[in-house]
Amino acid sequence: MSADAKPNEVLDVRGEVCPYPDVKTQKKLKSMKSGEVLEVIVDYPLSAERIPRSMEKLGHKVLKADKTGTGEWKILIKVK
Amino acid sequence: MIEQSLMVSGLIVGVIFGFVLQRGRFCMNSAFRDIIVMKEYTLLKAVALAIVVQMIGFHFIATMGWIQLNPKPLYWGAMIFGGFIFGIGMVLAAGCASGTTYRVGEGMMGSFVALLGLMIGGLITSGGALKELTSYLQSNTAVTTADLGITAGPLIREGSTSLTLANVFSLDPWIFVVIIAAVILAVLIWKRGGKQTKAEGTLYEKIFKMGWNWWVTGIAVGIVGIMAFLALQTYALGISGGWFGFLNALVTGDPNKLNWFTFLVIGVVIGAAIAAIIAGEFKLRAPDARRLLQQFIGGLMMGIGAVIGTACNIGHILTGIPQLALSSILGGIFIILGCWTTAYIMFMRG
Repeated sequence: MSADAKPNEVLDVRGEVCPYPDVKTQKKLKSMKSGEVLEVIVDYPLSAERIPRSMEKLGHKVLKADKTGTGEWKILIKVK
Repeated sequence: MIEQSLMVSGLIVGVIFGFVLQRGRFCMNSAFRDIIVMKEYTLLKAVALAIVVQMIGFHFIATMGWIQLNPKPLYWGAMIFGGFIFGIGMVLAAGCASGTTYRVGEGMMGSFVALLGLMIGGLITSGGALKELTSYLQSNTAVTTADLGITAGPLIREGSTSLTLANVFSLDPWIFVVIIAAVILAVLIWKRGGKQTKAEGTLYEKIFKMGWNWWVTGIAVGIVGIMAFLALQTYALGISGGWFGFLNALVTGDPNKLNWFTFLVIGVVIGAAIAAIIAGEFKLRAPDARRLLQQFIGGLMMGIGAVIGTACNIGHILTGIPQLALSSILGGIFIILGCWTTAYIMFMRG
């Protein structure tokens, strides 16, 4: 699967505070099917770094984690 | 009014502290909460390392005669109650006292609202409606060296009657420093993580653009704490007391209410803002109304808890525990218990 995979779902957690971006991402991934791709849009720096780390630990595959603008990140995660 | 040299040193240490907090994402609420909610230990490792650096540093500069340790007095009832309330508050506020302060510098309006709550809660509890509760808990549960028939022991400020791990066992503080430091360092090295995500970039990018490694953050916070003790002489880092002094000076018009910590916390906001702007992470942003209310209530509880328990997470866990103060160890434990209880209820059920 290429890193430019089209996401099946998008989760926009901009504005959310610690640790909701992480918790919501985890919940969303649980509701999705194996192999599907989730795009997370986040504007909270700590979560932008922590989400890829903790989702990998849970066994999901992080395809991409890029800073897309001032204080904004996009993370692509493939469900395990 | 505090001396000008102290204002300047408070501001300078604050700006450096704010820079370090923002780059290291150093937040104790996240550190403790993530252990149970996400099984994430990265920030906890930074906190543990900062404590070790400060423990060794404080005892070293005290042994050299440059400062005298100043552990906080033990009021067990106040530390248990205040610590627990503070711990609940920091989860609701989505940041501890230091985390909330540096995030204001990142442009997070939710943290700004939490900070307003913290200041108001502090004033209500120190001089307002909840003053009686504070003095009741503190005066009825105090235990001093005199009660135990011991002396404060070496390296501690003249006249202090505060209990420490060292003086209750009548042992040299260095014995505890060496043992605790060795144990924590051994665990940190053992658990440093096999797979290090190697960040690529120039040194400039690593410092100013990317989040820091936990060990860089831990050492940096520790060094800032030692600088703070040398600058202020009577204590090292603290956050909540600075904000209480700030609001108190504003509402009473009395500049004597400003203290060294007030200049420190203003510096933290400035330093964090500088770091965030350079990294391209500064953005004015706000959560929805419900979350703002939650953060305000959390801030209020942190303010109440910090006054009753005599310190916030920074004053107790970061500055008090390295001095081996029993007050701060007890306060710190209950801050963590309050945090875990609330995090479990909010994020882990169902």
